[in-house]
Amino acid sequence: MSAETAQHPGAARVGIGGPVGSGKTALLEQLIPRFAVRGTRLAVITNDLVTKEDAERLRRSGLIAPERVLAVEAGACPHTVIREDPTLNLDAADLLEQRFSPLDLILLESGGDNLASTFSLELVDYWLFVIDVAGGGDIPRKKGPGVVQADLLIINKPDLAPHVGVDLEAMVAEARAVRGDRLVLVTNCRSGEGVDAVVAAIGRDVLFDAAS
Amino acid sequence: MADAVALLLALQMGDSAFPSGGFGFSWGLETLKADGLVRDGAGVTAFATAQLTRRWASADRPVLRAALAAQGDIDSLGRLDREVEAMSLASEQREGSRRLGRALVRSHVTMGTPGAAAFQAAQRSGRVLGHLPVAQGVVWGGAGLAREAAEAVSAFVVAAGIGQAGVRLALIGPVEAQAMIAALRQVIAAVLARPCPERPHAFVPAAEIAVMRHETGDARLFAN
Repeated sequence: MSAETAQHPGAARVGIGGPVGSGKTALLEQLIPRFAVRGTRLAVITNDLVTKEDAERLRRSGLIAPERVLAVEAGACPHTVIREDPTLNLDAADLLEQRFSPLDLILLESGGDNLASTFSLELVDYWLFVIDVAGGGDIPRKKGPGVVQADLLIINKPDLAPHVGVDLEAMVAEARAVRGDRLVLVTNCRSGEGVDAVVAAIGRDVLFDAAS
Repeated sequence: MADAVALLLALQMGDSAFPSGGFGFSWGLETLKADGLVRDGAGVTAFATAQLTRRWASADRPVLRAALAAQGDIDSLGRLDREVEAMSLASEQREGSRRLGRALVRSHVTMGTPGAAAFQAAQRSGRVLGHLPVAQGVVWGGAGLAREAAEAVSAFVVAAGIGQAGVRLALIGPVEAQAMIAALRQVIAAVLARPCPERPHAFVPAAEIAVMRHETGDARLFAN
């Protein structure tokens, strides 16, 4: 164990961005138990915009030890705290690594933002962008930097498509068209459908050098 | 040419785009707005003036000055740090100062500023706490900023940070905030012209009570 700790490369940092209400916290709630089963040593940082609601929801969820969840305030600047000045998030990640070493993975949930938000690669190694069907089938066509540049695009709430007049197949096809070779996955974060594929993608592309 | 280099260094250290986390802190202004005690640009200006003359001038300035003089002397920096810790009554004031100190040092470690890595190692081992004015003295001194410039930049960062927080709290317009900062130039210059106190002290009770109330308040755009 001490040899493993000495050689541990440090926790990988994965960002989760996306508009308000698209399902970022729900995705986290589905991811955490799956990583626990996989044996991934995990901590979480949330960038709540107005309150500590997301951090408190996770702390009370029973899914993860409450002290492994830190909230970082964004000063009403959800872009800034993950891109132009990620130092407060980096500081929180440093604290989590010092307290719970060795960690394999730190998930950073962005405050709800718009389609132009992106994560700085000084902050994260890999980032997901979550949009949802109810936000409109035309979101991929708008080619927002979040939709186009994220390592993994997630389209959530597919079950709502018939109720909001969205052609899910066309939405997914347009997302794939604007993203080239980058991965697009469809999840239902209430039921958990499709979330295993997200864990598999992070395991393959991010945790390849960590315990599995 | 040497003057141009010094000026450019001061501009970069005081640039609000320098990654150091300051945008996440209001130092009580968010709560004062929620409580109806600051309602407009005049209120923001009064708040900023008090922070500069009753906190920065008497607390941050002597600590910054001592930290600049203690370059590389981790034990002296640690003593300064503990003094800041002891005189910071409100926990979000204390924690905010430590978080911003760590954030500033972290950026300078990445940039390779002399002295930053050793200070960060001392922070992580617990020998120093890394409060903001101490950290500013370490990294700005390491970067080559002269004392007079460092003090002016430190005070400017306070004024500009409060201006930005006021804009984001919709208390003051963006151009009005710049006019406020322009007016505060004379306030800062007057402070810098006075002798620096030897021992740090501060008295901004309304702001400190607001920072305490912030811990349990609903308003949480900012970290304090």
